Amino acid sequence: MNIHCLQRAFSSASSSLVPLQLPSPMDTHFWYVLPEEVKSASLVNEYLGLLSPCERDNVLSMRGDQLKKSALLARVLVRTTIARYTNFQVDPKSLKFTKNRYGKPGVDWQTEDGWLPPSLHFNISHTSSLIACGVTVDSPIGIDVEEKSRRLNNHILAFARRYFSSCELEHLTVISDPEIQRQEFMKLWTLKEAYVKALGRGFSAAPFKTFTIRFKAPTRGNCLSTDKATEASEIIVESFGDPKNLTSNWQFALVELAGSHYAAICIERAKTIEGGNFSVPMKLTVRRTIPFVEDESVSENSVVAIGGQLCINDHIH
Amino acid sequence: MSTVSAASATFTSPNRLSFLSKQGTGNNASNLKMVTAGWAKNGFPSLRTSRFRVSCAAKPETVQKVCDIVRKQLALPAETDLTPESKFSALGADSLDTVEIVMSLEEEFGISVEEESSQNITTVREAADLIEKLVQSKAEA
Repeated sequence: MNIHCLQRAFSSASSSLVPLQLPSPMDTHFWYVLPEEVKSASLVNEYLGLLSPCERDNVLSMRGDQLKKSALLARVLVRTTIARYTNFQVDPKSLKFTKNRYGKPGVDWQTEDGWLPPSLHFNISHTSSLIACGVTVDSPIGIDVEEKSRRLNNHILAFARRYFSSCELEHLTVISDPEIQRQEFMKLWTLKEAYVKALGRGFSAAPFKTFTIRFKAPTRGNCLSTDKATEASEIIVESFGDPKNLTSNWQFALVELAGSHYAAICIERAKTIEGGNFSVPMKLTVRRTIPFVEDESVSENSVVAIGGQLCINDHIH
Repeated sequence: MSTVSAASATFTSPNRLSFLSKQGTGNNASNLKMVTAGWAKNGFPSLRTSRFRVSCAAKPETVQKVCDIVRKQLALPAETDLTPESKFSALGADSLDTVEIVMSLEEEFGISVEEESSQNITTVREAADLIEKLVQSKAEA
């Protein structure tokens, strides 16, 4: 019954979860929900019903209704998003999760009757105003979203001096406009977070000082770009003293969402037959959702590429 | 949201309960609150201090400073109850908040926290204990 690869995707009519084709190897599907759009008490009840007892306890332990709501929506988004790609084989409530040794969540597929679960990867991130889930096939993924307007309580350069690499500190130091400096800080933060989450190690096991993320002018020639590929700078990571982790494996994208958030995405590049890496723009499909209520392809105004070589699709293949 | 709010009412008190030995399972939130107030009037502070000594290695001043830093970082309203057992994540801290809190603690106490340790700082108490440990080993150095 592993038809999911062959099923044609349906168009996004509003309904309960429509089964979807998995992303192809170089596609990233990015789903997000805006808590302010979830207002109905009965919908919230329905969502609560999807959670495991442990998740429900965790949601209810959050202080204040807004935090409870975003914690709830984070679990709901993960469960419903993954369930979409199982072609009705798994319902959101029955999904089980596991964690790697650093705490990165993964799906613990309950396989029966020889059903082959999809080989998908996911990662979530949330702010109080936006919750996101990225999905890929065969490639570890890390995402991070932050409000564009977020301000640090500490001084930006002091923070960067303490936690970022010296290259990144320098990049920030030479920016004279404090607002632009703050924005560049947030972009770096989200990209660094996305990277350590893609690695599956998180901040503690991959200290931010040990790698540099920077923007590089785009290289042409060996780049298979499509019409919609952006001319944005390439985003690259350089890691110090970690020979096991070949940093050229990782590909980044940075977008502005709904005019209000930065979203950084990091995936592992596909390997060529010879063992090198494809230099192909990331194909990103962005959907705004209210699970069980509606899914919407996001217009070009709502997703603006800031960095990384990527194509933003407006429909899922 | 009414269902969630109603359910949350029964969970607001447990953080206060951490100071008391288990006084039975109060199902009624307002009863629990009354018990807490009663204790506070009858010599509870000294009991609480001794509970601190038993369960929390850090000095009360350290705990208080940590609480102040956490309150400021997370912009907690004054009525939000903050105890040594309060989990940062439950108060709405994300990874950037946690890192900012650690940085503020480093500056306040003149210590340096390894990134590997920062994952162990999930509550006020854990932060305070780590601070005491680092301040002590710095003094002994």
